[in-house]
Amino acid sequence: MFEARLTNGVTMKQIIESIKDLVKDCNLDCSEEEISIQSMDSAHVSLVAVRLGAGAFDHYRCDRPNALGINTANMSKIFKMLNNDDTVTFKAEDEGDALTLLFEGQKNDTIADFELKLMDIDYEQLGIPDTPYKCSIKMPSREFERIVRDLQVLGDTCTISCGKEGVRFSVTGNIGTGNILTRANASAEKEKDQVIIDMEEPVELNFALRYLNFFTKATSLSDHVMISMSPEVPVVIEYPIQDYGYVKYYLAPKIEEE
Amino acid sequence: MAPVKRILEQDSFQENGIISGKRLRGGNAPPDEEDYYLDVEDEMLDMEPTEEEVEGESEDQTVFSDITPEMRQRWLRPASKVTDNSNDVNLQCFDMDMISGQPLSQNPNETKSRVVGSNNGQVPVIRAYGVSEHGNSVAVFIHGFTPYAYLALPNNATFDNTEENLTKIRLHLNKKLEAEARGPSLAEYCRAVSYVTSHKSIMGYDSPHKSFFKVTVAMPTLVPVLKRIMEPGMIQLSGVNVQGDNVYHPFECNVPFVLRYMIDNDISGAGWLTLPQKTYQVRKEVDKKTFCQVEIDITYNDIISRKPEGEWSKMAPIRVLSLDIECQGRKGHFPEAEMDPVIQIANAVSVYGDKKPIVQNVFTLKGCLPIVGAQVISSDKETEMLMKWRKFLEACDPDVITGYNVQNFDIPYLLDRAETLSKGSSHIKGFAQWGRIRNSKAKMKDTTFQSAAFGKRNNIETTIEGRVIFDMLPYMQRNHKLSSYTLNSVCAEFLGQQKEDVHHSIISDLQNGSDEDRHRLAVYCLKDALLPQRLMDKLSVVVNYVEMARVTGVPMSFLISRGQQIKVFSMILRKCRNEKLLVPTLKKAGFNSDEVAYEGATVLDPIKSYYQVPIATLDFASLYPSIMQAYNLCYSTLVDPRDVNGLDPKTYKKSENGHVFVTSETKKGILPTILAELLAARKQAKKDMKNAPSEFERAVQNGRQLALKVSANSVYGFTGATVGQLPCVPIASSTTSYGRFLLERTKEYVEENYTIANGYQHDAQVVYGDTDSVMVKFGSKTVQETFPLAIEAAEKCSKIFPDPILLEFEKVYFPYLLMNKKRYAGLMWTQEDKYDKMDTKGLETVRRDNCALVRDVIQTSLNKILINQDVNGAINYVKSQISDLLQNKMDISQLVITKSLNKGAEYALGLGGKKEDYKNKQAHVELAARMHKRDAGSAPQMGDRVPYVIITGAKGAKTFEKGEDPIYVLENNLAIDSKWYLSNQLAKPLERIFEPIIDNVQKSLLEGEHTRKIFIPTPSARKGSLMMFAVKKANCMGCKANIDPNSGPLCKHCQPKQAAIYLDKLSELTDAELRYAKLWAKAQELHGTVHSEIMCTGDGCACQFYKRKKAQADIKRCIEIVDKFGR
Repeated sequence: MFEARLTNGVTMKQIIESIKDLVKDCNLDCSEEEISIQSMDSAHVSLVAVRLGAGAFDHYRCDRPNALGINTANMSKIFKMLNNDDTVTFKAEDEGDALTLLFEGQKNDTIADFELKLMDIDYEQLGIPDTPYKCSIKMPSREFERIVRDLQVLGDTCTISCGKEGVRFSVTGNIGTGNILTRANASAEKEKDQVIIDMEEPVELNFALRYLNFFTKATSLSDHVMISMSPEVPVVIEYPIQDYGYVKYYLAPKIEEE
Repeated sequence: MAPVKRILEQDSFQENGIISGKRLRGGNAPPDEEDYYLDVEDEMLDMEPTEEEVEGESEDQTVFSDITPEMRQRWLRPASKVTDNSNDVNLQCFDMDMISGQPLSQNPNETKSRVVGSNNGQVPVIRAYGVSEHGNSVAVFIHGFTPYAYLALPNNATFDNTEENLTKIRLHLNKKLEAEARGPSLAEYCRAVSYVTSHKSIMGYDSPHKSFFKVTVAMPTLVPVLKRIMEPGMIQLSGVNVQGDNVYHPFECNVPFVLRYMIDNDISGAGWLTLPQKTYQVRKEVDKKTFCQVEIDITYNDIISRKPEGEWSKMAPIRVLSLDIECQGRKGHFPEAEMDPVIQIANAVSVYGDKKPIVQNVFTLKGCLPIVGAQVISSDKETEMLMKWRKFLEACDPDVITGYNVQNFDIPYLLDRAETLSKGSSHIKGFAQWGRIRNSKAKMKDTTFQSAAFGKRNNIETTIEGRVIFDMLPYMQRNHKLSSYTLNSVCAEFLGQQKEDVHHSIISDLQNGSDEDRHRLAVYCLKDALLPQRLMDKLSVVVNYVEMARVTGVPMSFLISRGQQIKVFSMILRKCRNEKLLVPTLKKAGFNSDEVAYEGATVLDPIKSYYQVPIATLDFASLYPSIMQAYNLCYSTLVDPRDVNGLDPKTYKKSENGHVFVTSETKKGILPTILAELLAARKQAKKDMKNAPSEFERAVQNGRQLALKVSANSVYGFTGATVGQLPCVPIASSTTSYGRFLLERTKEYVEENYTIANGYQHDAQVVYGDTDSVMVKFGSKTVQETFPLAIEAAEKCSKIFPDPILLEFEKVYFPYLLMNKKRYAGLMWTQEDKYDKMDTKGLETVRRDNCALVRDVIQTSLNKILINQDVNGAINYVKSQISDLLQNKMDISQLVITKSLNKGAEYALGLGGKKEDYKNKQAHVELAARMHKRDAGSAPQMGDRVPYVIITGAKGAKTFEKGEDPIYVLENNLAIDSKWYLSNQLAKPLERIFEPIIDNVQKSLLEGEHTRKIFIPTPSARKGSLMMFAVKKANCMGCKANIDPNSGPLCKHCQPKQAAIYLDKLSELTDAELRYAKLWAKAQELHGTVHSEIMCTGDGCACQFYKRKKAQADIKRCIEIVDKFGR
């Protein structure tokens, strides 16, 4: 038996929205400690890792680990019907074939329940081992979203170079070039406007803008985004969900074809 | 030499720039004219070689010690039986050409003294190459035949027919021709002019052209020149009193000279000729100009042509050489003759009628172990190997050279390679002498063949004098619709035989290996040489072509290098000769000229349904030919609308679309006569086929009846081809209009007469009809009840139509699934007691731009629906296939789609071409471009068919971005986009066939429980991919929950079921192992190699390369899983 009640139901809605463009079908892995998702996107270019710890829920019970196979598009259809202040309750039998979702309004005036048929999805779970990164950038997530969206007009590959004075995002395309420099600014008044760069040495990597754009779908989950880079290893773009979890995206840098 | 354009159905006698009159005299001729000459009379350019040339290409006298006399003896033809002129010589003639030569000094006929034809200057000499009954090769030099053409006098002109006037005209034309003709000057240009009033034009019932000048010229090249100078209408001829326009219309100017000769002497293509004793001279060995065993001089009118009937329908023992070469390409490149050596040449020589080849041999570069049943001739140097092979070619003296894609690859490669080598070595002089004419090289030229049916193809046309090149690849492409044309899959289809498809990157490694490796390669090469020849035998290709040549009266080579039109043209010319009619030479309409479109055949609206009662099919037998006969449609019966009023209404009939033709009682047309003869001959051939005493004779008669059928059907097309020799839209459009009328009339008749009111049990209903057939639902429940009704209906309905239009009852469909126009399926019954087969039309079972999965699913569903009448079974089957697809259990070869790289792809591949030609990106083209980047050598070339599968891509990725090479997919374990296959490949065809049967196909078939179990493979790590950094996490083998990697394969909840889970995984492994073992054994059996590895990587090969790869990958995955349990 698995049962979990999430007062802030919209978080789950945002999680599904943040992965549905990348992942069509995936398992919701429920364990005693957390709900997590690990999946490569369908083109096998990036990897998504989601964690929502038991602490995020006001009620959490998981008798045995369970993998709930869901189709993200269908899940998203159901969450479309969720009001932003609704509470969500998940229920699934061990070895059952459906997931029950309960949406309760704040004033206890409406209760909606849904049953989503589960899928049996067979895939190997993958993870990227944690390593120390040469650069870590913390910046407002809205800012990152805007930069990615703006640069897409110019081309499809974005160079992210992290140096002393800040982070430079640059694009070269058929119509011209573009550079956006974000300066470190640890002393900003509001915490959400802060740009903090923690750097051991400068790093410069190229990425497909198409994917960076997919990642910014998680913007609403968090005020900040953490970008961690080291030469020749995948970048991690992390959207923390308060203290309870995160949505992380891994993307391998583009290498020049010989 | 400018490439010759061969437009639709070829023999396009281009005239741009020639008739315009703007040509600068004495200046350089426009290139179009060059083409013109080449196209009309290729042979014109051949002159007998002069002394200098002979010196330059002196014959190769080298003796190779390893070619033993015994070996050579096996290559040779039987010793010549003809040494003098004391006996009749019979030969079957396979090829004819023409050269310009010197006239004979005396008549070869002992009883005659005067030389026939001109005795001064250059004269045309026809060379006929044939094979005698004893298998000797014979070259006959035919002398004395002169070219001519007709010119119609201008309308209403009169001519004062006197010797004096004719002489004046001759001299006048002579002068004109001399001024206009190109090439070496002649003693005389116009040889004779006569006035002809016994003939008239074939065009129209009452043709204005009734008087002509017959102009005889010295050389065939002068015929088009004559036409050109007469056309502008400026010339005044003495004795002609012109009233009105001074235009001389040319007649019979576009008849190739060799064909002219054959027609005038009643010689059919591939027919037997008898040279009566004492009428000919055998050339002495020293005088011989060819490599033929016998060379004969004779005058044209001494030859007896045998009609291909009775004794003379036999075949001479002709020799067929089938060859295949292997080249050592550099890594990453397709072999190029300038760089890469030829390493092996394998040959198989067979004699028509023998079951086994008489010689099989292989010429290898560097040593090679002996091969059972074949001669192995090794050389250290490439030049030496090539020259030894040429010796072999000369000795075995084949009549036909075949192979698979020899025309565009093997033959040009050998010639180009020799050309390259000759720059550095003198040992290879004379290699290109492949033809029968001494000191004459094989010539290559690029041609473009374009037709609506086959698309555009670039070809290399090689002329080898006296030998017919017959490439099996284009033959298969023209005559059989297949999903793959590799030699391998074609052989699997028709011979049930396989060969290994060795990738050319392996060839180089084998060549650099040991004698044993080269032996391996040689065996493979030999098989490649043998298979085309087997294919030829199996499909009776030679016989069918010989019969086609006989029926239509054109030489064999015309059938290969020219289109359909020349065949009908030849038949018309032959018939007209007997009827004293002349065929006008029309100006060619170009592609851009406004084509007169006319309405084609009709299709009755289908009443879509799944019929579980018998549906009878009534067919018109040879609809268009019989319409042309019944309504006497012909050039010579067409009445000019202005003349209709002057005719007795009883003598003519107006066609359904308003053209008037006289009835056959008034005047029987040429085309109806030809058709009647063809169809009568076909009946006879079919009868003879039944009574044939031997298999060979049966093959001959079958070839004959097929040729007759095809020829009869092509007559209609000939009249409708607006760019053709003699288009006549009134005939073509009247034919189709009658066709539509007959179909409508049949529907009315059946529905009016077979009614309950007329005493029948049900009202008959025509559910569908197309061109020449109607499908009738008589309403009766059983096949047995339907047969008599249908037979009766066909008979009665035939009676309301004029002879020979015949409505036949052929078959009943029961059950019958009618999906749309030209789309149906049904069980076909031609006998009452059991069905023959399942017949489908327009379905994905035959279409080849789909993957095999679609074909199989559709085929099996139809089997279940129609044969077992088990609709639920079909639904369950479809569901199980869909769930296999989603779980990645499908064999990848089922998902492969193949498409060829056609026009436009050059641009994407960076080989030139225009951007405009490649507007819509296509998956196979994009893939080919990517493969070129990966490895240019193994990447597909232009014209190749590219196999690909669709893999998953990022959201919003277009299909053209998602195509991938199946081998690459297998190697890297990429995920197939199964949802794409479901919605883009399976959905539509399934909806079509299930729509008439069940409601809401989408919901009940394509969605639901069976689609909820899926498998997503983990791709292997590639450079630059995320997989290089990812680590697999441990999951419980039982429930997939995350577990600690060090605590065994199962989570604590599944631990109690360990044994069961282990056994389950183990059985998966044994299953995969067993699958692989079976596939491996089958592949070994197919390729006949038990001791060495199988090199085949062929797509479509029955050794199932993809399936083997997949099984291998499965085993690897299963072992990993089982290993986690510990060993």
